[in-house]
Amino acid sequence: MDHPPSRAAFLHCDRTRALFPTLLALCCLAVFAGSWHLAQIQPGLLLQADSRQNMARFIAGMFPPDLSRDFLRLLVGPLVETIQISVMGTVLAIAVGLPLGLVGTASLTLTGILNEFELAGAPARRLARALPYACARGLLSVFRCVPEFVWAFMFVRAVGLGPLPGVLAIGVSYGGMLGKVYSEILENQGMRGCEALQATGATRWKVLWYGLVPQALPQLVSYTLYRWECAVRASAILGFVGAGGLGQQIELSMRMFNFHEVVTLVLLLFLLVAAVDFLSGKVRKGIV
Amino acid sequence: MLRAKGSGVYRLEHLTKAFDGGVIAVNDVSLKIGAGEQVAIIGPSGAGKTTLFRILNLTVRQTHGTLWIKEQEVGALRGAALRRMRRRIGTVYQQHNLVSRLRVLHNVLAGRLGDWSLPRALGSLLAPRAEDVRAAREALAQVGIPEKLWARTDVLSGGQQQRVAIARVLVQRPEVILADEPVSSVDPTLAQGIVGVLVELSGTFQTTLAMNLHSVDLALAYFPRVIGFRDGRVVFDRPSAEVSDDLLAALYAGQTETAPEAMDTPDGSPSVTSCLPPLRSN
Repeated sequence: MDHPPSRAAFLHCDRTRALFPTLLALCCLAVFAGSWHLAQIQPGLLLQADSRQNMARFIAGMFPPDLSRDFLRLLVGPLVETIQISVMGTVLAIAVGLPLGLVGTASLTLTGILNEFELAGAPARRLARALPYACARGLLSVFRCVPEFVWAFMFVRAVGLGPLPGVLAIGVSYGGMLGKVYSEILENQGMRGCEALQATGATRWKVLWYGLVPQALPQLVSYTLYRWECAVRASAILGFVGAGGLGQQIELSMRMFNFHEVVTLVLLLFLLVAAVDFLSGKVRKGIV
Repeated sequence: MLRAKGSGVYRLEHLTKAFDGGVIAVNDVSLKIGAGEQVAIIGPSGAGKTTLFRILNLTVRQTHGTLWIKEQEVGALRGAALRRMRRRIGTVYQQHNLVSRLRVLHNVLAGRLGDWSLPRALGSLLAPRAEDVRAAREALAQVGIPEKLWARTDVLSGGQQQRVAIARVLVQRPEVILADEPVSSVDPTLAQGIVGVLVELSGTFQTTLAMNLHSVDLALAYFPRVIGFRDGRVVFDRPSAEVSDDLLAALYAGQTETAPEAMDTPDGSPSVTSCLPPLRSN
């Protein structure tokens, strides 16, 4: 503290910061304009007679949906498999995301009131905490930046066709998303309660379970359930690369140009997602 | 541990806390607080009192100077030793700092977290033991709200939440109680009640009590010793009987909103900036 910055430098710094939102808004505008141009957005194209007729033909070809008993019976297995893939995938995602997310929560491991006393003036200790933090964050971004169907593609090569590669793919990529969002939810909690818990002599684990988790529980549960819903939909895409479930059936029917069957499958998927949404809504209401 | 009156609980030597931006919240403070003493700390807002309390309860570490608690130098404490020392200091905060989504029971029992193992703590969240429930109810009875034991904390009023925070300290059974503006968010009648309860408890259990107070009247009425704190420094440290109007006027000079009479002080130079911690190099 030999040369603290002058008050003038302080004010200047604040003024620069105040400009930040404006600059950010301008950047967003520029990105939007550029994207509009580069992505060749031409809404008119959708309304041309040609495209309209093609679409109408395609949709008309799908009806009526195939509701024959034989076909429906055939779907029971894949339907159950889809549910299993989504549930196990989400469980695995929690198992991957929660520990990494906790290590990657700065307010628990690195900064703020919970680390103030132990890390002040201790650069070596700070570094010892910063390394796992950075590793966890890095791992989480790798997990979620690789799309789930790429993971599925790799896991199909590794463990063969079937539901397992689907579970692994969802577990890894959604684990990355859950971990990232968990850490953000936890970092955004008010720390006053946690400060008081720490002051009673509680370890950071106890502060986590008595302070942070109870406070953040509705958000944590809500986001996890949303991810489960996404996993149901994702399992359809993953089926395309051989990871089982309804998706594999959709792919099969499409390849055989059986669009009546495709429509049945899509409807089934829609009902499944709606059911999951309904269920998670009930759970969310229970935890307020 | 010696608990005889006169033996030191706190010894501060040239304690200074400078924040990264260069703001110095606590500036070269030296003082002693003896076992069983009851001390009020008063002064304008922004004087650095809260930072001082955070140093005293081992939440924030000073940048310079030495802090002794019970003849132990605490600056180098880490890990388990640090937590053992924190466990002996109970804190009541300005905004009660409770976990609002937990039941009152668990907020009160959080006072035991320093003693409990992690499995014991987690077990208590799931299925609290009968003896712990009893202890929590007794503590709540002492602050007058035993019926709120099973209520969720966020349905309580501000005053009730502050009582829960005091019950948490009772369950913690600390040797020192620090109270940081414990009554600034409750109405005046309740404020008197809460300060009274804390002073009485500290008297009954021979617990050392240090309290930050906005209200000069409460400080003078309840505390034998009063410390005036301003701009991170101790301005005066006297028995309350010796705290004169002149001392108070000087302490609050320029603080129009807290002490209007201070505007008339002859020494003058009231300025808005005096409520900001000064920027200076050491």
